[in-house]
Amino acid sequence: MSSVTLDNFLQLTVAGVVAGSAYALMGVAFGLILSVTGRFHFAFTFTYTISAYLASQVGESYGLPFWLSLIVGAVAGAVFGVAIERFVYRPLAAKSGVYALLVIFVASLGLAIMGRNLIALAWIDSASKQITGFTNAGYNIGPVTLTKLGIIHVVVAWVLVLLLGAVLTYTGLGRVVRAVRVNPDMALVVGVDPKTVYLAVFAIGSFMGGVEAVLSATQTAAQPDMGFTPLFYAFVVAFLAGLGSHPVRVGLVGLSIGLVENWSALFMSSRWTSLVVFGILFVYVALRPVQMVSLRRRLRPAQA
Amino acid sequence: MELQISYVNSILIFSIFALSLNLLLGYAGQVSVAHAAFGAVGGYSVAFLFLQHGVDLLPGLVVGVVLSALVGVVVGLPALRLSTEFLILLTLAAQTIILTLVTTSSNLGGTYGLQGVSGLSVFGRKLLKPSDLLPVFLVLAVVVYLLVRRLGESPYGRVLRGIREDEVACRSLGKNVFTYKLTVFGVTAAMAGLAGGLFVVQNGLASPSLFSFDQSTAIVAMVILGGTGNLVGSILGATVLVLLTPFFDSALNFTPERAALWRLIAYGVVLVIVMLVRPQGLLPEGTTLLRLGRRLLARRATPAPGSVPAMGGVRLPQQQVRSALVEPGGLDLDRDAHALTELAHHGDLPDTVVSTGHRGDVVLSVSGLSKRFGGVVAAEDLNMELRQGTITALVGPNGAGKTTVFNLLTGAIRPDAGRVTLNGQDISGLRPDQVADKGMVRSFQDVRVFPRLSALDNVILAIQGQPGEHVGGLFLRPGATSRAERDAHDKALEWLSFVGMDSMAGLPAGALAFGQQKLVALARVLATEADVVLLDEPASGIDQQWVEVMLGLIEQLREKGRTICIVEHNLHDVGRLADHTYFMELGRITAQGSFEELTGEKRLAEAYFGTA
Repeated sequence: MSSVTLDNFLQLTVAGVVAGSAYALMGVAFGLILSVTGRFHFAFTFTYTISAYLASQVGESYGLPFWLSLIVGAVAGAVFGVAIERFVYRPLAAKSGVYALLVIFVASLGLAIMGRNLIALAWIDSASKQITGFTNAGYNIGPVTLTKLGIIHVVVAWVLVLLLGAVLTYTGLGRVVRAVRVNPDMALVVGVDPKTVYLAVFAIGSFMGGVEAVLSATQTAAQPDMGFTPLFYAFVVAFLAGLGSHPVRVGLVGLSIGLVENWSALFMSSRWTSLVVFGILFVYVALRPVQMVSLRRRLRPAQA
Repeated sequence: MELQISYVNSILIFSIFALSLNLLLGYAGQVSVAHAAFGAVGGYSVAFLFLQHGVDLLPGLVVGVVLSALVGVVVGLPALRLSTEFLILLTLAAQTIILTLVTTSSNLGGTYGLQGVSGLSVFGRKLLKPSDLLPVFLVLAVVVYLLVRRLGESPYGRVLRGIREDEVACRSLGKNVFTYKLTVFGVTAAMAGLAGGLFVVQNGLASPSLFSFDQSTAIVAMVILGGTGNLVGSILGATVLVLLTPFFDSALNFTPERAALWRLIAYGVVLVIVMLVRPQGLLPEGTTLLRLGRRLLARRATPAPGSVPAMGGVRLPQQQVRSALVEPGGLDLDRDAHALTELAHHGDLPDTVVSTGHRGDVVLSVSGLSKRFGGVVAAEDLNMELRQGTITALVGPNGAGKTTVFNLLTGAIRPDAGRVTLNGQDISGLRPDQVADKGMVRSFQDVRVFPRLSALDNVILAIQGQPGEHVGGLFLRPGATSRAERDAHDKALEWLSFVGMDSMAGLPAGALAFGQQKLVALARVLATEADVVLLDEPASGIDQQWVEVMLGLIEQLREKGRTICIVEHNLHDVGRLADHTYFMELGRITAQGSFEELTGEKRLAEAYFGTA
């Protein structure tokens, strides 16, 4: 427990903004996939983790600069995301009808477990991998310490969130995605193929998750099970913001969670902070069970 | 030998986990990824009581089971109106919260857990080796299997499956969905707590990793893998997943480090492949191992046509069942024609006790009923009466609020103001299931049959006063339960034959044509034996011949003294049926009288009746 002083509060605020921006990016990415496709994409942990490992690997093997490694990793994540949708979820949804939501959930769990252990096997000699080519630096502003990585993390996360928001709001692609999110059958009638849109959504979501994974691994290191906690936070953020909400709104919810979580360290042991987050989620889900019926229709993906 | 026995013990423990989750997930349709956490409550109770207070296994288990049930009810409380994905989320939160509490509480040993839970005894016999545990585990697993079977394959289980299929329809038939959900959460959490207690005894410790989120998802995987709604399937699923470990250890020759990874990879691959190949699980609902075996043999003999047994032993081409399940009401001309010939000789209205009043008495009266949604007036100062043995029609343009009136009358929506009186009793503010109990039942414009239940089960669910629909009656009055079950079966068949659908009794309702579903839905409403029947567009969306059948049935009901209110668009039909007609516009009743009077009014004719 930290003592309640202004300095402490400011430092925790900085930490909260960095963590919250990461949650924002994850929540937006996962929420996009869930709200548009209706897939309970648990294997997001896999595309997330593989991004970090591949970024580390290309940096190490080919000496790529940090930014290039980051992009390679995130693109790799997108490729895996698209492949999962195309070769696992789509055939499953077509086959399983009323069971689709749960069947995809279980298959997705299977993919997540398989992916985590494949990664552990592939990098069995050095399971924990650093991202190369980045030199961190610290800046003291008054009583508060900022890091270069922290600043980059926040800026990149919000650029991506705002970019996605702009794309969804102002572009043709955005209109198509929103149309499919609201009603895939009707979209098909007016000539938009939901299948293609699903692939695009998986590419975008997995790319954003991949970027976050590389940044997070730069902070600490890539681990085979690094994806689980971020996914849980992505769940919390996406659902608290409401599925299908505008990315900026989702992002702000993510930011708030980061802040609340860090501020709560002023009053309680840091071991309990995740309890705060999930406690909020539990209470929220328990007390606000309205309008779920329409989602239920959306999440019965019999149509894809 | 002891090693093999310990695998058997694991299978028994996970069978208990999977069976209980199946009751929740497969029957009641409520997903939980917190089942391991419920197990943790039981497991830590046993460990804590033993280590701190020397409490022995059985009393420890009793405490653990009770605590888990309480936790289950608390988690189940908010589940009333949650759909699948939100339940996954809610239970995920519950799982995380419980595990965090356990891990951070210093009394419970933190990350390392409570160690040294060994040497417990049962009836004075110390349990040391796996072979000592086996008989205890076996007895408890069998007890759980019998309990779950009794709960699932019974009138109670039928209500659970009704809730899984359509909660709104279930409530409209008088089922208190809320209580059912709470009991099923409590009961299944209690069983998980039992399994958790045994798991701790087997491992000799209670630690967070025994009850992790991974463990919860493994239990879900067992149920889905085995087949939701199939109890033997759950045991099969548990067996397969538990035995993956020894199988890979012996089949593959790796260093222990690599073997563990490969095993988990294989586990993941198995899940994906099984879902791809057999999304309904190894043993789908309604299938037995015996039948599956026979089918495999038959397929080997004649490899061409695949078919699955439908409920009630009727066989349907597999493709047809599947497409029917995917899109209920998919039309099929052959089947429609077949059904029409069946309808030519439908049965008579079964004798039922209809209310004692006289024809023309006011049964239902509505005064000042109003409802606003934000600024939108859905209903404004409605006053109406339904009279015994008559048909009252509610007509008006689309969006006039006719269906809203039904929702208000049956308590699906709470009115802002006004009173509804049924047989002299004020029923305003009651829940839909309470209104149904008082004797008023509605049908739905979109039919809302329970698609995966047989037509017969759809109707049986509507029959009131079945003791076996409650846990108490099921276990304390087994004789009354089975007598009532036979009666309900016979009565439901009578109702089905009244609407001419008895020949389809064994088919899943979702596999029927739309018109047939409407008839089943009518039989379902009638089987409640409610005095007052509200029919929402009973004749819309079906072929003309079927409309004739439907109208004829409704007229017969009137003859028997039922009080009927219909919402209908086809004015020809209204003209034929209605004794009294209310005309609605924008949430208000703007005219009433006989059908002829209304069609005679020039303004109304222009507003709605048009050329009629």
